[in-house]
Amino acid sequence: YPLFQRGGPQLRIFRPNFFMLAVRPGVPQPEDTVQFRVSMEMTKVDIRNYLERIYNVPVAAVRTRIQYGANNKRNHRNQRVKKPDYKVAYVQLGQGQTFQFPNLFPEKEQDSETRSFDDFRDKFMEKEKQKQEDDPRRGGVPDWFGL
Amino acid sequence: MAALGARRLLRPGWRWFSEAAPGAPSPPVSPLYPPVVASITAKSKAAKWRRLERFKQRVHAAATVEEKLRLYGKLQRPKYMVYPQTFALNADRWYRSFTKTVFVPGMPPRAAAAKPPVAAAGATPEASRAPEPGAEAPGAAEAQGPAKSTEPAAGVAPYLDVGDLRSLAFDALLQESFYQNKKRPFLYRDQDHTPGPFLTQLVSTLAAFLSGRNPLLAASSLDLKPEVNYYWHHGEEVVVHGHRKGRVDPVRFQIDDNPHLQIRVPEQLPEVVPLESDLGDVPVIDHKPSKLPLFKKQYENKVFIGSKVADPCCYGHTQFHLLPDKLKRERFIRERLEDQIEVVYRSNGIASLFAWTAAQAMYQGFWSEADVTRPFVSQAVVTDGKYFAFFCYQLNTLALTAETIKNNPRKNICWGTDSKPLYDVVEDGKVKGFNDEVLLQLVRFLLNRPRVV
Repeated sequence: YPLFQRGGPQLRIFRPNFFMLAVRPGVPQPEDTVQFRVSMEMTKVDIRNYLERIYNVPVAAVRTRIQYGANNKRNHRNQRVKKPDYKVAYVQLGQGQTFQFPNLFPEKEQDSETRSFDDFRDKFMEKEKQKQEDDPRRGGVPDWFGL
Repeated sequence: MAALGARRLLRPGWRWFSEAAPGAPSPPVSPLYPPVVASITAKSKAAKWRRLERFKQRVHAAATVEEKLRLYGKLQRPKYMVYPQTFALNADRWYRSFTKTVFVPGMPPRAAAAKPPVAAAGATPEASRAPEPGAEAPGAAEAQGPAKSTEPAAGVAPYLDVGDLRSLAFDALLQESFYQNKKRPFLYRDQDHTPGPFLTQLVSTLAAFLSGRNPLLAASSLDLKPEVNYYWHHGEEVVVHGHRKGRVDPVRFQIDDNPHLQIRVPEQLPEVVPLESDLGDVPVIDHKPSKLPLFKKQYENKVFIGSKVADPCCYGHTQFHLLPDKLKRERFIRERLEDQIEVVYRSNGIASLFAWTAAQAMYQGFWSEADVTRPFVSQAVVTDGKYFAFFCYQLNTLALTAETIKNNPRKNICWGTDSKPLYDVVEDGKVKGFNDEVLLQLVRFLLNRPRVV
């Protein structure tokens, strides 16, 4: 392959080996801010180009920080176990777009069958409990008390 | 013996342990016990409240303004540094929520309605102008119209010649950009190279030219690169980590601003709208200020208008701000953030003017517990050398702390325009596309003065 210079024909295409993981923010972020976990080697410029060219997302600003993974836990051999470090990127979207992290585990609607099964189960448990109770005429006094 | 003694004690009519005879007026009795109030040193909310009250009493009872300012900013804690010239996105919305400011686009009505009787571009003779000011302004030009403050003084010619003003502006511009032989500007020093000196020259010559008409300008003080600082509390937050974790603290802010030029005057500018007027809504932002992004640091809590308290020119007239190279228009256009260009001007105007007017109010003895009784008005011009944006700010309230803001209906108001170019290009010793409107607005700003009563 001939050496590439700016303006020349592009004969090779390099696909990035990076991955960006969109995460739910731990603290509430403004509406136009999306939080990503990215590779430690990515820079702000890399993140901006990645989102703009591959996903066509307009990016207004990018801020990054490195989260240090703690080294305090100990395994069964008393060796310290490190949690891995990772880089967090806060991306502010352009053109007035907003993003809200979706709820990935919504509560399922209950069908009529499961509801009746739950009722049946509750009634059965009630009956069992009633069988084990003492005679109400004794007024709560245990049955070993007597003549 | 004992019985005799007992009988003597029990003799009727001898009340040695009871009160004095009923019916006689009791003398004024001072309270036997001290008042029942919360402790001062206990670890309780009531004790904290009592300590705060004692601190407020101390500040209220301070003899001089310097003592008040010293006590106000005595306790140092980490605070957010608010920069008026910032690249943060949508910063003007955040700044409006921090300072409880309403932004009204356009200039306030008094500045728009009262046009100074200025000769038109084609020079009209003086005689034809004489009846016009009488019709326009609410008083003849000779009798100094007191209501509109932008009229020229009666002693000098009753109209301003645009040609004179334009020639002043041209002189300053051409001198800095064409006639003077300067080397290439150093990297990222473009603004200090040409627009900075041009602005200084323009403002000082215009102020000197107009001081004949505006006696306030004659008594004013022009500062070069002054420092303006203000420290305030707004809202509450819980301390996240550290030895004070879990406690509820006010959110502290500090503005440290360096305008390019500043005009301070001994008399205050008149109010634009009444103190309690409501011209819009203040944006409410639930997120922490650090999401803007805004960063915390702990250093001196300074309140300063540009001169110390004893200076007679203690009120503000106009500020001039020069945008740095980092916030050039070309950079925003290259990054496709065109809507942020106006945000930069607005955030600079709002933050700088709030800091200046609030510091002026503190110099008069007002603070968040002793709210202002009259509005403080100041003006500002934000420019990057070619584009000019004009702002006018009215400070109606200083009470922004979590406790004082609850029952406070007043809001601060900021009027502002979009940025307009003063000229298009400077080529071969000629200025092309000169915009008179911008120059006239600047002149109106400089001519602003309290109404002559």
